[in-house]
Amino acid sequence: MAKEMIAMLLAGGQGSRLYTLTQKLAKPAVPFGGKYRIIDFPLSNCVNSGIDTVGILTQYQPLVLNEYIGNGQPWDLDRLHGGVHVLPPYQKSTGSDWYKGTANAIYQNMNFIERYDPEYVIILSGDQICKQDYSDFLRFHKEKGAEFSVAVMEVPWEEASRFGLMVTDENDKITEFQEKPKEPKSNLASMGIYIFNWNILKQYLIEDENDPNSENDFGKNVIPNLLRDNRDMYAYRFDGYWKDVGTISSLWEANMEVLDPENSGINLFDEDWRIYSRNSGMTGHRIGQGAELENSMITDGCSIEGAVKHSILFAGVKVEKGAVIEDAVIMGGSTIKEGAQVKHCIIAENVVIEKNAVVGAMPEGDEKGVATVGSNIIVGEGAVIGPNAMVSEDVKGGDKVW
Amino acid sequence: MVNSNADSAMGILFPNSYDSLVPELVTERLMASIPFASRYRLVDFLLSSMVNCGIDNISLIVRKNYHSLMDHLGSGREWDLTRKVGGLNIVPPFAQKTVNVYNGRVEAIASIIAYLKRQKEKYVIMADTNIVVNFDFSALLQQHIDSGADVTIAYVKEEIPEGLLDIDMTKKDLYYTLEMNESGRVEKIIVNDKDKGVKNVSMNIYVIDRELLIEQIQESYVNGRTYFERDIISPQLDKLNVQGYQHEGYYARITSGKSYFQENMKMLEEKNVEELFAHSPIYTKIRDDNPTRYMAGAHAKNVMAADGCVIEGEVENSILFRGVKVKKGAKVRNCVLMQDTVIETGATVEYTITDKNVTVSSYKELKGTESFPVFVEKRKTV
Repeated sequence: MAKEMIAMLLAGGQGSRLYTLTQKLAKPAVPFGGKYRIIDFPLSNCVNSGIDTVGILTQYQPLVLNEYIGNGQPWDLDRLHGGVHVLPPYQKSTGSDWYKGTANAIYQNMNFIERYDPEYVIILSGDQICKQDYSDFLRFHKEKGAEFSVAVMEVPWEEASRFGLMVTDENDKITEFQEKPKEPKSNLASMGIYIFNWNILKQYLIEDENDPNSENDFGKNVIPNLLRDNRDMYAYRFDGYWKDVGTISSLWEANMEVLDPENSGINLFDEDWRIYSRNSGMTGHRIGQGAELENSMITDGCSIEGAVKHSILFAGVKVEKGAVIEDAVIMGGSTIKEGAQVKHCIIAENVVIEKNAVVGAMPEGDEKGVATVGSNIIVGEGAVIGPNAMVSEDVKGGDKVW
Repeated sequence: MVNSNADSAMGILFPNSYDSLVPELVTERLMASIPFASRYRLVDFLLSSMVNCGIDNISLIVRKNYHSLMDHLGSGREWDLTRKVGGLNIVPPFAQKTVNVYNGRVEAIASIIAYLKRQKEKYVIMADTNIVVNFDFSALLQQHIDSGADVTIAYVKEEIPEGLLDIDMTKKDLYYTLEMNESGRVEKIIVNDKDKGVKNVSMNIYVIDRELLIEQIQESYVNGRTYFERDIISPQLDKLNVQGYQHEGYYARITSGKSYFQENMKMLEEKNVEELFAHSPIYTKIRDDNPTRYMAGAHAKNVMAADGCVIEGEVENSILFRGVKVKKGAKVRNCVLMQDTVIETGATVEYTITDKNVTVSSYKELKGTESFPVFVEKRKTV
């Protein structure tokens, strides 16, 4: 049974600029927005767009991700024909290779795609926060009679040189591709989301693989080759919310934007485009007698006795009496003990902040650092973690980390 | 097979038992699907307890208003009951020439006797769904096997709940208290005991050998007996070795609208929640709500809330189910608000239970009392 379009989701990203947060898990598995992980966004987009076959290409620290995806049931991707498949690099008769680049990852799984005999393949990135209707993207691709389309975002001209840019004519046909140019000719940045006609993709993947000098990357190699051959290439403009949460500060910022859907453009509360996630299975959250809550998101299993202001708490977070949380992202299972102050920071999963410890600080002047505490860390009684600190080892009581 | 059927059990639940005690809550549902503790339905507790104790062949014999239960349970996936062998088995009444829904447990079980005969489990565990408990069925089964009993009845030591004392004898719900000798053997079963004081009140959880159950039901059915406890167990206490099993952990029994309200309110105490949920997880249907939002100006004190709520007003001493909205200036005190209730701007609600999809209009006041909470029916706008 042929599928019209299947998705290949690149989820091998190490997310090295998230440092301690991605020491034990791949970037797509990083928790986001109270009860989600980053990968929930592309997966939910697929299901909501009517794509029921998704190959997830993993490589770096796949354990958490594999377990999280499981059989794909939370996203309704447990299907008899199709569904979600995790595709790590594997051994072939000709040897085994790690995925050398984004294009090589797809190349190594051409057999997987072949099984579904699709007309189109959409290549997705597993590390962006974005709600996007891929069926509208496909409609555009078909209307243009394209062989290749790329989703692009308009970015401010002064930032354009940080991106891969598509130069287009008045029909959105791509005439030139500039990778992080000094003098940008366009402000249409590639989102790293592509639709290919499968026969074209296949042809260029094989060509790319046979080129010993290639870095096997879509942006660096495959797209320039398509341009060289004057293929029908179009840029699809997307104007919704899109964020590559590649750094601590952008991850923190995106979380804060979730708290302000009216202005930020990222609305997780839209019932027509739900984001699905694996459920924690915990009981409803509890708000105690002395708790104060404002502008915050709280989910199952939380127990709040202290003050929580403008923060996102994941499942099972405990905030004891007298603790103060502000502008913070606190991931699942962490405990903030009595009198602790946790501000303007990211606390990873299963962290314990002991009594009266201080983590991070509200911005003052130019000081806007987002303090970060890695998973399973204990920050001892009365310890102080500075606003720029990155904590990946236990901190003894009374110690100061800057 | 690793697990021989030598000591395994199958479950039978009776989702309609005691429906008549909570008429307002079951107009469009049955006891088993009454919402409880912000995100569960009553059936979740026994179902999850059974699954957690390795019982994965569970039949629910329903008699009426079971659409909400079917919707809740689906294929049983959330309870890990989508099995090739066993799993979830919902048995609706079998319509013959005239639709004849059964009375009492004997008829109910008689309706699945052919099915029971085909099963492989040695034991059957039966229970009603008006109790909230994280029950250790393994311990119950172990005691049943060790004591060599024919039937084991789980009970709690407590005063007879108010709701049961008021029971209307003309309706078909009975309750039972047990008298046991020092070895735990039940010597007397008292039906609808009205005496004061702490009693051994049956939880209506029974273990019995499957073969024995089939034999007893067949005989009783032919003779027109209806109640398992009153007509089968009680008259044969000399012949059958009936043992009591005392449950000592947290448990709640829903016996009236008032007790429904009170038992929900008990979930506001951390200690109770810990006791109820610590033993093992309770599963329920997933709705994929986003986390609950507390907006600027929200005040919340002593609240249990599920996901998907938006709180802009004041909430105190209340249980909020999924998707409840409390708008600006609204005041909610001592309430149980079921799924998707909306309390509009400036409204005040106290001691009120709202069923699903209720809307309380702007600046409306609804005030009940602790002993008589106001109840607002499903989908009503007040």
